[in-house]
Amino acid sequence: MSEKNDDIDAQFCHIPMGDGTYRDSDQSDKITRMIILGPGSTLSSKELFNQLHMLELPLNIRLTCYGASVNGVAEDVNYATEKMRELDPYHIFIKFRGFPPGDPRRCRAKRGGAREGFHQIEAEYKLLDDVSYALEHPKHVDLNPPKKIPLDEFKEVVDEINTQGKD
Amino acid sequence: MKVAIFPPNSMILADMIVRSGHEPLVVQKQMQEKVTSPDLDAPPFNMTENDPINGLKYAAIEVPSGVRGRMSLFGPIIEEAEAAIIMNEAPYGFGCVGCARSSELTVFSLRRKDIPVLELEYPTSRDDTVEMVHKINTFLDDLNNGGGQGQ
Repeated sequence: MSEKNDDIDAQFCHIPMGDGTYRDSDQSDKITRMIILGPGSTLSSKELFNQLHMLELPLNIRLTCYGASVNGVAEDVNYATEKMRELDPYHIFIKFRGFPPGDPRRCRAKRGGAREGFHQIEAEYKLLDDVSYALEHPKHVDLNPPKKIPLDEFKEVVDEINTQGKD
Repeated sequence: MKVAIFPPNSMILADMIVRSGHEPLVVQKQMQEKVTSPDLDAPPFNMTENDPINGLKYAAIEVPSGVRGRMSLFGPIIEEAEAAIIMNEAPYGFGCVGCARSSELTVFSLRRKDIPVLELEYPTSRDDTVEMVHKINTFLDDLNNGGGQGQ
């Protein structure tokens, strides 16, 4: 049953979800992104929601406590997320999401309790304030840790300092 | 450039890679292909019988099917990776033994590949977080310049 069969796929355009609903196969060319407002953001979820609507794109937008979920064709979603990021570039973060918004397999309205990915957002949200600060104050750092100098070279440096001290 | 991240669902790492103009390889993309492709075995079933078979490319037959099933998700990420950012000791990367072993195998495979890798510790203070962001940005900028001085 696990082998993909084109004939079967064509025949069953809706896949049963197990709770009496069906999944539309038109989701296969759509992507979902979550727009998350950081702690210092000047925008509210509602403002973000309105801004997304004003783009007038064919998107499925879902207002959430942390920001919004956007579902649609890749081109529109990427355009919308980039436009939203421009509103507050250091405090708006984009997260990828596999399941479409409101999917009965993962939506908390159907299952009860937080969606699995929410715990991870919760954990990373604690860092977002500092991440925003770092993004506002960019700095180039050296990735290679300083190397330890050989013992002989270290002895030479110590001897040199000692001789300078005696003089 | 395609950059693999670990934990493979990290929001901060994926977001910073997008900001710098690269493409993050995240596990959500693999999940999306799984849950939106019209297939009779698509979820609500968690795993199809093909997943452990695909995972055989990365783990031996004695390895539990749970690990091999997870490796079928992480496998394409490892295959496509042209650079990698690994964050060690991330608290939300912790899970059951199957998750832990799959994570170890994924990190091991990424380190073994001949690609620039940046390894970081999960930050526990403000200074650490700021330094982590600067390191990631420097690493990604170096990738843009054709280098990548990873560790």
